[in-house]
Amino acid sequence: MLKKLALAGLVALTAFVATVAPAAARTLDDVISSGVIRVGVNPTLPPLGKFDEKNQIVGFDVDFATEIAKMLGVKLEVVQVGSPDRIPFVASGKIDVVMGAMTRNPERAKVIDFTVPAHTEVLGILTTEDKSFKDWKEMNSPDVTFVQVRGSTPVKFIEDNLPNAKVTLLDNYPDAVRALAQGRGTAMIDVMDFMQEHMDRHKSTKWKIVETPVDIYYCSLGVAKNSTGLKDWLNVAIFEMHRRGKTDELWKKWFGMDMIAPVKVTPYF
Amino acid sequence: MSYVLQYGQVWPYLPRLLEGALLSIQIAVLAFSGGLLIGTACAAVKSFGPRWAVAAVGVYVTFFVNTPQLVQIYFLYFVLPDSGILLSSYNAVLLGMTLNAGAYLTEIQRAGFESSRRSEIEAAEVLGFSRLQQIRYVILPHVARVLFPPLSNHFIIMTLGTSMASVFGVEELTGEALNVNALTFRSVEVFTITAGIYVVLTLVASTLLALFGRYAFRVRTRAA
Repeated sequence: MLKKLALAGLVALTAFVATVAPAAARTLDDVISSGVIRVGVNPTLPPLGKFDEKNQIVGFDVDFATEIAKMLGVKLEVVQVGSPDRIPFVASGKIDVVMGAMTRNPERAKVIDFTVPAHTEVLGILTTEDKSFKDWKEMNSPDVTFVQVRGSTPVKFIEDNLPNAKVTLLDNYPDAVRALAQGRGTAMIDVMDFMQEHMDRHKSTKWKIVETPVDIYYCSLGVAKNSTGLKDWLNVAIFEMHRRGKTDELWKKWFGMDMIAPVKVTPYF
Repeated sequence: MSYVLQYGQVWPYLPRLLEGALLSIQIAVLAFSGGLLIGTACAAVKSFGPRWAVAAVGVYVTFFVNTPQLVQIYFLYFVLPDSGILLSSYNAVLLGMTLNAGAYLTEIQRAGFESSRRSEIEAAEVLGFSRLQQIRYVILPHVARVLFPPLSNHFIIMTLGTSMASVFGVEELTGEALNVNALTFRSVEVFTITAGIYVVLTLVASTLLALFGRYAFRVRTRAA
């Protein structure tokens, strides 16, 4: 009986593995001939991406992608992605390009390709006024609990640099900031450019942003390894966006300020 | 070109996944045990209790059976703090799953209570058994045999249901799978291994339950 069961389980598992068909990413030619480019945007990262009153995704990423699509002469299809699933989406060819604060790092670059930077992010510490920390280096202690978003870059940063601190991982930014407001943690290390809108939702909380920047990240557009030609074309398009001042214009429109650490335009890439 | 499977990138993280699996089992066992206590008590109340208590149990069961478990835990975790009750991730998940299980197990056990033969209960009454003695010596042994299969099924469902704990920062199997996925980006590999661990968990659990049922309550099952 047991043998039969184990066998049945094994057969089911093998069938499951076998049905995971290797998805092929689309090449530049495929995108052009289909007339549509599918771009993944994370709507929980305002003002990069958020839902408006009509439940449409809008934001810096959407405007940026719109310009890109215009340059390529195709229609834009915005696809909703989240922090944990955005890389699988692009690696499996469900979308052509992923945005949503895609920080490039060597780990990710093993799985997907990155274009030249589209924008930067300045990593800082969000905490409340009753906490006395002045620098992130003071936070390597078991008394500190970070509330972080599962699948986001700072999780690894904390694991590597603040191994004694505790970490609570939640699924998205609204949940993480709410947990912090409710006193479930000491602080959150993440990109401060994006925190204003979340902080505004918890008005009774006395927020504090620790001034010393932890790090600067360069965020690119991500494409699948086998999307022949797409990355090279995007590099040229993004260079043009920066050179014509379009990137700065869109950033100012959505963030209400200049990029804290602007990407320097260079003709070599 | 197609995607190349790289299981080698994921195997080093297997201990993390197994640690998570242990936590999944722990949550399932604790919540199921708690749910069984609540369920037995509520089923007894529904069958023999005063009218107001029957109504109260009815409200509890209706509420928890007709709303998603995820929403119930979300309420415990994120809404209660606004009224000053701050449950930790683990406690919120455990409480939510216990209350949810209690409601389902009430319904399952009530069916068992009602399936006891009228004549047996009348015989017990004639012999001067008190209500509690009737439940203990006549109804429960009967219920245990009839209900063992549906109860163990519910345990399996709960084991798989622990996967939602990751939403609330509990690092059980699914939580660890998402973390390993975020470190390696080998989604297909990570979740295939994770699915395999879940299959092993539920196969082992259902086999143990079937054996237990056969010896403790003489339940005839096909070992699953």
